[in-house]
Amino acid sequence: MVTVRSESNLKNATMNHDPFAWGRPDDNVYGKYNQSIAQAKNNELDAFPKMHTQQPIITGTSVLGIKYKNGIIMAADNIGSYGSLLRFSNIERIIKVGSETVVGVSGDISDFQQLERILEELVISEENYDNQGENNLRAPHVHEYLTRVLYNRRNKMNPLWNSIIVGGFDNDKTPFLKYIDLLGVTYGSSTLATGFGSYLAIPLLRKLIPDDKDYSNIEEEDAKKVIQECMRVLFYRDARSGEKFTLVTVNDEGVKFEKDVEVTGQSWEFAKNLVGYGSKQL
Amino acid sequence: MFLTRSEYDRGVSTFSPEGRLFQVEYSLEAIKLGSTAIGIATSEGVILGVEKRVTSPLLEHSSIEKIVEIDHHIGCAMSGLTADARSMIDHARVSSLTHNLYYDEDIQVESLTQSVCDLALRFGEGAGGEERLMSRPFGVALLIAGIDKDNGPQLYHAEPSGTFYRYDAKAIGSGSEGAQAELQNEYHKSLTLKEAELLALKILKQVMEEKLDCKNAQLASVTKEGFKVYSDEATEKIIKELNEAETED
Amino acid sequence: MNSTVASEYSSEIHTTPIEHRFNPYSDNGGTVLGIAGKDFAVLAGDTRQVEGYSINSRYEQKIFNVGDDIVMTANGFAADGSALIDRFRNQLKWYKFDHNNKKLSVASSARYIRHLLYSKRFFPYYVSTLIAGLDDEGKGCVYSFDPVGSYEREQCRAGGAAASLIMPFLDNQVNFKNQYQPGSDGTEKKPLRYLELDEVLELVKDAFSSATERHIQVGDGLEIFIVTKEGVRTEYYPLKRD
Repeated sequence: MVTVRSESNLKNATMNHDPFAWGRPDDNVYGKYNQSIAQAKNNELDAFPKMHTQQPIITGTSVLGIKYKNGIIMAADNIGSYGSLLRFSNIERIIKVGSETVVGVSGDISDFQQLERILEELVISEENYDNQGENNLRAPHVHEYLTRVLYNRRNKMNPLWNSIIVGGFDNDKTPFLKYIDLLGVTYGSSTLATGFGSYLAIPLLRKLIPDDKDYSNIEEEDAKKVIQECMRVLFYRDARSGEKFTLVTVNDEGVKFEKDVEVTGQSWEFAKNLVGYGSKQL
Repeated sequence: MFLTRSEYDRGVSTFSPEGRLFQVEYSLEAIKLGSTAIGIATSEGVILGVEKRVTSPLLEHSSIEKIVEIDHHIGCAMSGLTADARSMIDHARVSSLTHNLYYDEDIQVESLTQSVCDLALRFGEGAGGEERLMSRPFGVALLIAGIDKDNGPQLYHAEPSGTFYRYDAKAIGSGSEGAQAELQNEYHKSLTLKEAELLALKILKQVMEEKLDCKNAQLASVTKEGFKVYSDEATEKIIKELNEAETED
Repeated sequence: MNSTVASEYSSEIHTTPIEHRFNPYSDNGGTVLGIAGKDFAVLAGDTRQVEGYSINSRYEQKIFNVGDDIVMTANGFAADGSALIDRFRNQLKWYKFDHNNKKLSVASSARYIRHLLYSKRFFPYYVSTLIAGLDDEGKGCVYSFDPVGSYEREQCRAGGAAASLIMPFLDNQVNFKNQYQPGSDGTEKKPLRYLELDEVLELVKDAFSSATERHIQVGDGLEIFIVTKEGVRTEYYPLKRD
């Protein structure tokens, strides 16, 4: 039951300073807050079990990777989505680790930033501290290390919610391209893609390199062209993808970052022929 | 050598300026007070022989246990503070059983010896944060006899210092000096198990103060049939053989 | 008079939180098989790795020569598979440090792997494990394990996605199950005999090309590890990629 109060009472209304009810009117203004409505209780901390487990919050979509005769190419767009909201539009998701390795990360952006810090520490201890700036930390080592980090976190039921592609050179100086995900699952191939890219981009990439070993016949321009085509297709059909992306080339000349590359040659002609799915009805 | 005590005598794991751990060295002295134990390795198997000090006619001689089984393929004789051997034997038995549980095979004699010796230095804290198990070093030495598939019959001597060596034949305890010299004279590679039994008892007889009989001496063997402590009757028989052989000479 | 209007939500009561629980496992498909012969053993597997309906890789190694002429595979959830094999390899190193470089027998490996698996009884390695090699007498041997460490020595075993397709074939062709002497009217069993290596290799190739036809998670390539007293060697045959 609620007491109806006069206006003068409202003027003296005070705020509730309880941290769990901060900013609400004090109980003596409108009476006790009815928390049975719409589960407005604020005691989740007590009612819910302790949860490590999360879901990705701000996410980055596909990362693409391809081997070619002199190295590898990797691409990822710059968008950070909050569910279906385009929340951030300038996120760099491909990072350089050591002097000739790149790591492209999709999935949760905060977990990616955690990985960034972990990898920076790795570089400091391995490259600078232990080996006086020698170039000993190469792609297979970074890949193995990330595998351990992700698998150990999944064992604790507290995963880093990412899919990762590591690119660079193997110990025998041949191009290296391998994948790791939040479960610790790894695999290598001449063409790799995470997330939506594994459905949309992989078929296009595999058209260029049908057999894994044939990457050694592929020219840089051809690989790059196919990656750009994949980014265009992804922009058409992946709602969480962006028009701007970063394209990284790793070859014997080093690591080259091309930022703010735009999806080119778009044609939305097909859209006018679309029927159904909420589009214009004929 | 040990006449002057110094401040380095106090801490068990403190080096003296000359680089010695006095308490460990003293523990080796404790063994020299122990009853004699002999081990002889032959190609057929290993013989262990010990002297049992029956200090009173009222003492039940079978309660003196100086040869024990570790596993079906490994046995061990001891000399020194035999009570200290309890924890070593326990550890050895657990090691052997655990190895068999994890690998479905008999533990190698050397690995077993190593695992016993790992205990020997646990009177200090381990570098890996292992807790201090004992207040002082062991006062007992072991002759570990065993047989395994890869290396055949083997005899190891394990000391309180944690070091161990493999021997063809080894004597420890109060009579060890004379016994070892005699072993060196008599040992040869083609010794049979039978000859080793006789040799072990012969040497015990030489170094013991009492007259040798089946009450104050005990034999055991490890052959491919496994570990076996000889019964009093069997020991008596060998002693008789030994006496007869000696009267012939 | 009520100060608040009852909303639709008020009748909606959750007693338990809506759980979107993280699933720590996935199925990476693929299939493996091991056959023991008189003086040899083979371990074979396809090289495809999948997740859902996607092919992750057409060549991802999943059978390994772990040392001491023992070959091993752990098929199922790929991350657990490689973790198990890594752990075993590590233990083999320690075994050599601890036991004077002694060669680890296949029987001992099998017992040890049981402990690796059982030690995760309540968060299991989601894999079917096979090891193969030569026993102490030089005879071929295959050991198979369930995910929590039950194991036995067998003449042959299939594991993984297409195990249920291949195993009955192996029962018939390796252990001559349901095969009878001609003319005995089904009363006299066909006597057992060791298969020769070339016969075994033909069986393996047939098993995999058939499994490739019928199982979507099997294909791309066939890698066979062969253990003889000369050591370990491998053979590779392409499989259909569809």
